This record gives sequence, structure tokens and C-alpha cells, in this order.
Amino acid sequence: MNRRFALTVALSAATALGLSACSGGSSNTPTNATGGQSGTSFTATPTKGGTVQVLQNTDFSYLDPARGFDGGVNNFYRLIYRTLTTSAPGNAKDPNAIVPDLATSLGKPSADGLTWTYTLKKGLKFDDGSAITAATVKFGIERSWDPQIGIGSPYAKQVIDAPKSYQGPYKSGELSTIETPDESTIVFHLKKPFPEFDAVVAQVNMVPFPQGSGAGDEFINKVVASGPYKLATFTPGSIVKLERNPNWDQSTDDVRTAMPDGWQFNIGIDPATIDERLLAGQGSDVDAISGTIQASTLPRLQTPQLKGRTLTMPGICTTYMGLNTTKKPLDDVRVRQAINLAIDKTAVQNATGGTQLATLTSTIVPTTVAGHKDFDLYPSTGNTGDVAAAKKLLADAGQANGFSMELDQRTLPVAQKQSEAVQESLKKIGITVNLNPIDASKYYETIGTPTQQHDAAITGWCPDWSSSAATFIPPLFDGRNILPKGNSNLSQLDDPAVNKRIDEIGAMTDIDAANTAWGDLDEQIMKLAPVVPLNVAQYVYLPGSNVTGLFASPGAAAGGIDYVLVGLRDPNKK
Amino acid sequence: MTSPFTELERAGGSGAESAQAAALGSGTPSRGRVLRVLRRDVGAMLALSYIVLIILMAVFAPLIVSVSGWGPLEFDQSAIDPNLGGVPLGPWGGISSTHWFGVEPGSGRDVFARIVYGARVSMTIALAATTLTTLLGVTFGLLAGYFGGRTDQLISRVMDFLMAFPALIFMIAVLSALPAGNRSTLLVVVISVFGWPYLARIVRGQAMSTAQREFVEAARASGASGTAIVFREILPNLRSTIIVMVTLAVPGYIGTEAGLSFLGVGVIPPQPSWGQMIASSVTWYSVDPMYFAIPGLFLFLLVMSFTVLGDRVRAVIDSGEAR
Amino acid sequence: MARYLVNRVAAMAGILLLVCLFTYAVFFLFSPDPAVQICGKTCTPERIDQIRDNLGLDQPFWSQFLTFLKGIFVGRSYGDGVSAVQCSAPCLGYSFQSSQPVTDMMLQRLPVSATVAIGAAVLWLLGGVSAGLLSAVREGTWVDKTLTGLTLGGMSIPNYVLALVLQYVLVVRLQWLPFPQAVPFSDDPVQWFLNFVMPWIVLAVGYAAAYTRLTRANVIDTLQENFLRTARAKGLAPRLVWRRHALRPALTPVVTVFGMDFAGLLGGALITETVFGLNGVGKLAADSIAKNDQPVIMGVTLLAAFFVVIGNVVVDLVYTVIDPRVRVGT
Repeated sequence: MNRRFALTVALSAATALGLSACSGGSSNTPTNATGGQSGTSFTATPTKGGTVQVLQNTDFSYLDPARGFDGGVNNFYRLIYRTLTTSAPGNAKDPNAIVPDLATSLGKPSADGLTWTYTLKKGLKFDDGSAITAATVKFGIERSWDPQIGIGSPYAKQVIDAPKSYQGPYKSGELSTIETPDESTIVFHLKKPFPEFDAVVAQVNMVPFPQGSGAGDEFINKVVASGPYKLATFTPGSIVKLERNPNWDQSTDDVRTAMPDGWQFNIGIDPATIDERLLAGQGSDVDAISGTIQASTLPRLQTPQLKGRTLTMPGICTTYMGLNTTKKPLDDVRVRQAINLAIDKTAVQNATGGTQLATLTSTIVPTTVAGHKDFDLYPSTGNTGDVAAAKKLLADAGQANGFSMELDQRTLPVAQKQSEAVQESLKKIGITVNLNPIDASKYYETIGTPTQQHDAAITGWCPDWSSSAATFIPPLFDGRNILPKGNSNLSQLDDPAVNKRIDEIGAMTDIDAANTAWGDLDEQIMKLAPVVPLNVAQYVYLPGSNVTGLFASPGAAAGGIDYVLVGLRDPNKK
Repeated sequence: MTSPFTELERAGGSGAESAQAAALGSGTPSRGRVLRVLRRDVGAMLALSYIVLIILMAVFAPLIVSVSGWGPLEFDQSAIDPNLGGVPLGPWGGISSTHWFGVEPGSGRDVFARIVYGARVSMTIALAATTLTTLLGVTFGLLAGYFGGRTDQLISRVMDFLMAFPALIFMIAVLSALPAGNRSTLLVVVISVFGWPYLARIVRGQAMSTAQREFVEAARASGASGTAIVFREILPNLRSTIIVMVTLAVPGYIGTEAGLSFLGVGVIPPQPSWGQMIASSVTWYSVDPMYFAIPGLFLFLLVMSFTVLGDRVRAVIDSGEAR
Repeated sequence: MARYLVNRVAAMAGILLLVCLFTYAVFFLFSPDPAVQICGKTCTPERIDQIRDNLGLDQPFWSQFLTFLKGIFVGRSYGDGVSAVQCSAPCLGYSFQSSQPVTDMMLQRLPVSATVAIGAAVLWLLGGVSAGLLSAVREGTWVDKTLTGLTLGGMSIPNYVLALVLQYVLVVRLQWLPFPQAVPFSDDPVQWFLNFVMPWIVLAVGYAAAYTRLTRANVIDTLQENFLRTARAKGLAPRLVWRRHALRPALTPVVTVFGMDFAGLLGGALITETVFGLNGVGKLAADSIAKNDQPVIMGVTLLAAFFVVIGNVVVDLVYTVIDPRVRVGT
């Protein structure tokens, strides 16, 4: 759920686009924007050694994986932390898949689906040399229940059975529903069957920690590493340096290549500065990567060298406009369909940064996420909106003269332009859109409170795992999920048929069959038109010429560059 | 007086200077003489013409835009390149016979129309803030200066407090915290609340010395009430000081409004404002310098025109007093 | 003198207290619930209540304000038990968004703001005062007129406009300066210096213009005063008249104003730092406002007010020393 925030930060502020990784890729082969005529390959295997530089504007939310949970930090966590399972590396055959990490294999469910068992690999150690045991894994996971610490991924709490009063290991002691019969076996008891439990234990808050560590704010400035790197220096808001963790053993890890000797995250750099530095590509910036570049930098990528250095990865996050189905006249499906027909998606795309930074979408689940189905129920020439058809539908609905509606607007440049584009296109069918600006920091709180949200709002959604649409469709359209606060079902759609179908698909143990069903449900929902899918943000990178091993990871990096494979061509190049 | 808001900023600088000069005396040269002198002053006349031009632009914005053909909110997708981040097509930021000042990247909105409508925002807010500041500043300054004692104590403390306040940071914080609602009104109120002490301080000083003069004594002896004396006897004598202070305050407020819009807490888009246009041009200046240059130049010239005009008015009034 | 000092300090403390109270009240009233912000995005009403209770957010306004004040002097902790967070004195609050005490965050940023302020101050004092003197001495000549014109321009150009113009001309077009990027002094002193050149200029231009006018007006006024004529009539050498009798009184107001301006800048040059991406206190304020990180906004407001108020007192003291016409304590 948190990913929504990471995404929309990225979408709405050119500034926040400096955020290191919110982007996506369906195929694991990144494409050069221009076909890569310079012949540079970003997928060549890196050489061991050197330090990869990352330039970013936004600070990491938290070093503590029980607290942090967003596209920017999840990718970073994979360098220093390990979990029982994790997303496949970006160069895997299916980068959407979940693969074992600390565990020897994926989980083994019991016949009733309520108990899942994992076995740890041998020889796993923390950076202090102590062993990673089942007990440390259990302890790390228990931290998710602490009311002040466990503010990250919600899935452990949602899926694993626990007493209602349980408040984490520091306050309530051990959790009886996670068992550790021996040093290397860990058994989870679930509230109800959850066929995708492997994706839950791949969440970033499932990291092992030595028992008793990490109380209060201990992990705010400190890391107990289980991954190939450990924390060397940490200056909040400015620099995070990682160095090799000598106690990490490559032979236990099939996901991370750990080619560079270190990582340096340079934080708090203005997005314009980042782009200038990448364009110039001098000094240590040849070893640098960053988040997606700004729209205004695109016209400057005209030389063959720069074109050759440009790398595009499609995203996994859908930007959409939610239509509040409880408000008149939006409660009429024809009105919502008319709006879907009328929106000039091309104008919204241009407001987002043009064709390079956003791809149009007619579906809720983007092409990059498993469970996508191709369809377009509301087509128009050039995707500029079908005014005639929309007007006809409005007339059928008795709204031939149009009406006025309030669109909640996040006060950040890109979001503002997007809503202004919507305002302009609906003007053509007689709908007056009044913009209701809400300060960026309060936007989600407001639109997530049904008593405060207005008729419509533009926002984005990223799935929490890309191996299915299970974290895409239910949070947005399950009618039983309409919460008084923190609501993500913006359209407040409560359709019995949809609800029923969500339950049925959630219970399917065959993930492939489930994904086909999610795609059909996507279409079924779009017939009700509770949202207008606008576009899927796409990411354009300008990596330094010495960086390679750049693969997209939808699961670990929200579709952006997967850090665990990155390295340098020539570590000695200066 | 430039704006009292540090860095939009520089509180003391010219403020203290103009205060000193204006505080010299209280004779008022006739309005006719001021105008006569100004009319011979090329700089003042140029400044005045530019100000008049902007005011006309603001007043007749809808008419002007209907002639130029594009409204301030209309998107023009054909004027931008969707494959290159929405950069305006054509040289000079897309300046053409259809878009006289080019277009905004990403949306293709007409820069000319936005400049014209932006003038409305600039002028309305600056003039409204000046009016409110003057009202507050003069009233409180007079009250403090004439009545002295407790009244003076209280008002002076409030002024000290407001002047010690890091106004810029606070204004931004308050503006972003308050619901956006009617941002223009809020801007005027916030600017005025932090602006009036700078005028009041000077009015207070002058009211104090004027209160000692014979004609005030005479009015008092004849039994006029305190309020009547303040507004009928003292106020007219401070006219030139106030005129000078006010003229010098306007550019400060134009700058402040643009600055706050630049920082993203000014008027709400899509309502165009020059400060906001400059802010959105920041990322584009190396690709599309015109997008930055046009609003930047309009803003600079407007602030400068008011500064020059204020400066000349003061010079004339000062020299009149010296004579 | 001692009594005067005590009075001043008392008044100063009073104003700071008021600033505290006012700021606290405004944020108390208008800010979104900090508990909701801390709670994160997967939040239940019970969790919010828990956090409110833990942090004392359910206490009435006055009691919270007093706890805040107490924190400034003796430090405080947020929450209780093992998950408590310590904030040592002077505790100006704790940012739950970045998990750091506000005081630490500001102290980290202060050197950058000080560098910006000091460099700019040197520039504008040297530039402004010398231009003002030149203008006064050559009153009415073309030099004076040119300088007056320039100062009007300098005063009128908003600093963010100037910043962009300079960046376009010096960096993009002429490439005289590298694109600004923060480098620690120890790593590369040259790059460090070049990085600050534009911010210094941008910040200094407006002040320099104002100081030119101020100096000019004061020097001209002083030159017309009687004691100077007397000094000249007594046959003192012109140079001596200038140094001993004209410059000192003429520059006294400059010192006053300088103290205030400089103090104001120490609290962060918000616009300049933001435009050039310098991680000073001003940028911290801007970023925190964007994130609605209320404790930090409050901390920066207080810090800035602190500098302004201290600046006021220092100016008063310096004034009594340098201006023989002012005698204190009478």
C-alpha cells in the first residue's frame, strides 16, 4: 500500500523523480530509447571492485526495514538485508517471480494452507559474525507488530495469525504463532489460507535481526546487515556509504552478484543538478546512476553519445483518476463511462512528461505486472477523447447540459498539470471541473478519508509484488475495504459481483490461473468505469558510461534498476 | 522600503534609509508641484508608462486575450513535442504568430495569455496588500504615537514581536498549512500582518513629534476628542510621509507575491502568476530560456518601475520640504 | 549599563517566548495530526490513539507547550519504555519523519547557511559601502548617476530571477563556472569555493544596492552637518576630517542595519539556498514545509527568531560603543 505513496511522489514532483527507483519492466531486457545505436550494452557483466555512485534527491525513508516501505528504499534494502524469499533478480527469466533467498526453497504449505514451513540455508551470518538462525528471523518479523516500529509493510500483520493484543517483541515478548522447532526451521501459522504467502515473506520487513536488538530508535542510524554490504557511513540527508560485509557468503546467495566493493548514495542533490552531472558525466559521475531524468532534460539528449547512454524501463505503477461512485451524478455508470471516453489521455500524458516518461493505458493492471489483460473499452482516435460518444452517453444519463464536479488536486507541478489537462478535456463535454488544491503532504490523508474526498482525485498505484495482481485490484476495488481513514478504494466501488470474484481469485492456489482471472476481472471492473486509467509512468535513465549490469526489477525496485546486479565495467577507470 | 521579509528580504537596508529621509519634516508640497516635477523626469515617466501598461493589461485581460486568440488555460498539444518531454516546437520557446510569447512546455498553454492574466494577480495582490498594510500601519502608528503610555507600550511590543519574526519562513509554513481555499485573500492578509509594523514605526515617530505642535495643542484645548485630533489634525500632516512609504512598499509586495508563488505557496494554479511561471521555468531554462526570460523580465521591470517611481516621488517631496 | 543589559535580555527572552508560543499555537491549530503522520500509511484508529497517548498528544495545549519549553532547557524523551526516543537539551522538538532531533538537524545545516551569509555579507559590505562612498563623494556626477541607476536595478531584481539569469549566463552559456554541486571543503577547496560564488553574488546584489543607497544618503547628510564645517574651519586636513569626523557617524546606521540583516540571514537564506540546492537551514525549512514536517518548521522559525533578537541586542550594544552621540543608561 505504501508504494502508492512512493509512486505518486515520483509522478507528481519532478523533484521527487530523483528518487532512486520507482519504475518498472515487464521484460528483463532494458531498451535504449533510440535503439542503442552507439552499441553500449547496459547488460554486460560488471567487473569486481570499485564504488557505484547513486545520485538522488530524496533521502531514504528509514534504514530500518520494519519502518521503511517504498519504491526508493526497498531496492536499497536488498543490498544490506536478506529475507526468506525475495523477488527474482532483474536478469532472471521471469523477473516477476518470487525466489528463495535465506530459505533453501519456497515455502511448503500444509494441506489446509494454514501452515507454511521454511528451512534456512547453512552458513548464514550477520555482519558481526553471529549466525542467522530461525530465532533471529522470527525476532525480525515480530518487530512488525511493534506499534512505533512496524509502520512499514502491513502484510505480516494481515496474514500471520497473532493475538489481537500482540505489540511486538519489546513489549509483548515472543509470538507463539511463529514457531522455530530447530535452528534452521521456521513455521508460520496464518489467519486463513494465503496461497501467495511466499510474496509476504519476501516483504522488506521480514528481515532477520539479532534477538533483542533494534529497540526504540536504535536502527534509525544503525544497520545489522545480512546482505553483501554493511553500513560504512551514514549522514542523514546527505550521504550513505556501504562497504563489503565480510560475513556474507556468495555461495549462499543466488540473487545478488555484489560486484562493486562499495556503494555511495549521494542524497539531497537537486534534480536539475543530478541531470546536469549525468549529462556531463565527468569524474566519479561515470560510475553514477540515478532515478529517472526530468522531462526538461529529454530535449538535450540529442548527441549520439547521450542517445546511446539513454536507458528506458517501463513502470509498474498506474496513474488513474478515481471517480467517487457515491456522489451524484457519478453514481450513474453512464456518466462515468462518458468521462472515460472524454478524457484526452494524450494531453495528460504530455503533462506527465510526454511519451518517453509515460505510456498510455486503458487497463488498471499495467502490462508489466502479472495479471495484465489487453483491452480498451473506451477507445478514441489518438487517445484524445471521443467527445461525440461521451456527449451521447451523458445525454442518455440525463446530463446533456453537463454538470460541475470537484477534482482533488495534489499541489505539485506534474499533478497540477495533469488535473488541468483533465479539466480542459471535460470542458468539451460540458462538465465543469473545479480544482480543489490540497497540500502535497496532506493529499493522501484527505483523499483516503471518504468524508473528506470530493468527486474525483488523480493518484497512482503500485503493486506490492508484481507476481500477481493481488495487490493491485483488491486494495482499489474491494467494497469491503472502504475504510473511514486510509481508504484506498477511492471510487468507493462496492459491487457484490466484484467482491465475490476477488475472494474466489484470492483462494486460487494456481497463480497462473489466478492471474488470468485477475485480467478478466480488470475488464469486468472497467465496464463499471469507477476509475479512468491514465498512464503508466515510464523511466528514462542516463547512467554513467562505466556502469553496467542494469536490469529492471518490477518486484524489488518497482520496475527500476535492480541494485543487486549493478557494477562497474572498469573499476580502475578514472 | 523594500519588502520587510528577509531575503525577499533585506529588512533594514533601504527601509531604514527611506524612513530617515521621510521622517525629516512634515511639510507637504502641493500635489501639482510634485506632478509637474515628475513630468519632466524621463525615468519617472518611463516607469509610470510601464506601470500604466501593466494595469491596462490587467484590466482588459479578457479583451486582449480574445484578440491574441488563446486563453490562459487552453492547452495546445500541437505546439509541443510529446516525444521530447513536451518541449515547445520551434525556436525561441515556440514564439510564432499564433503564440506571441511562445508556449508553456508540457501543455502548450499560451505564455502571452498567462502573462496578461498574471498581471492581474500581481497588481491585485500587491495593491490590496498595500492598502491593508497602510490602513493597519497608519492606524496603529497614530494611536501609539499620539496616545503614548500603555497604548504605545502594547502596540510597540506587538511591532517588536512581528519584526523579530522570521516572516518568510512563517508565511510559507502558514500558507501551506492553511486550507488552500481563497489563497489570494490569505496572501494579502499574511503579507499585511507582517508588513504593517514597518510603516507604523515611522508613523508613530512622526505622530509623536506632531502631537507636540501648537495646532494640536490648540485643538486639544478646544475640547476635541483624542480620536478626532488623531485623524483630523495629525493624519493630514503625515500625508507626504505616508505617500512616500506606500509608493516604496508596492514593489516590495509585488516581489513578495511573486516570491511566494515561486516557492509554491502563492496563488493556486491554473490561475497564472508570474512568480509561478518563473518557478516552473527553472527546470527548462537551459532548453527553453524564453520561458524563463519573459516572465522574469516582466516582473523585474514592474518592480523596478515602482521602485524608480517611489524613489522619484520621495526625492521631489524631500526637496520640497528642504526648501 | 548593566541594568540596561538586563532589561534588554529580559525583553529579548520575552519576545522569544512569544514567538515560541505563537508558532506553537499556530501549528497546534493548523497542522495535520502528528500521530497520523507518525503512524504511517497502514494505520488503524487504535494505533493512532496509542501514539497520541505515548507522545502526550492527548494532553491539553498548555501542558504540551510547557513540555516543549522544558525540553529546550533540560531535554525530554518522546514515548516511554524501550521504544522511547531521547532528545537532549536544547531540544527543539523531534522530527518523526526523519527520526532525528530537530536541534541536530539544524546544527548540521548551520555551517552551510553561515558560509552563505558570511560570504555574501563580505561582498555586499565591501561593494555597497565603497559604492556608496564613491557615489556620495562624486554626488551629481555621471558616476553617481550610474551607480544610482544600478542600485535601483539591484534592488528590484528578485533574487531567484537573478539566480537563474546568472546560472544561464555563467554556467550554461559561458561555462565560466561549473554546475553548482556541494563538495566538502576538505575534498576540493576550489570546487567548494566555486560552488558558493553564485549564491554569494545573488544574495549580495540586493543588499549591496540597499547599502549603497544607505551609505550615500548618510555620508551626504553628515557632510552637511555643522560639526564637519567646524572641523574643516579649524583647518584639519581633509583626509583627517573624513576619517575621524565624517565616516564614523555616516557609517553608524550601516552597522545597525548590517547587524539586523546578517542575523536574519543566519536563520537561513531560504530562496537562495533552495534555488542553488545548498543544504543549509533555509533549504531545511523549505523541504520541511514541503513534507509538512511540523517540528522542523517550528525549530527553524525559532532559530531564525533567536538570531534576529540576538542581532538586535548586539546592534544596540555596538551602537553605544561606536556612536558617541548615544549614551546608554541615562
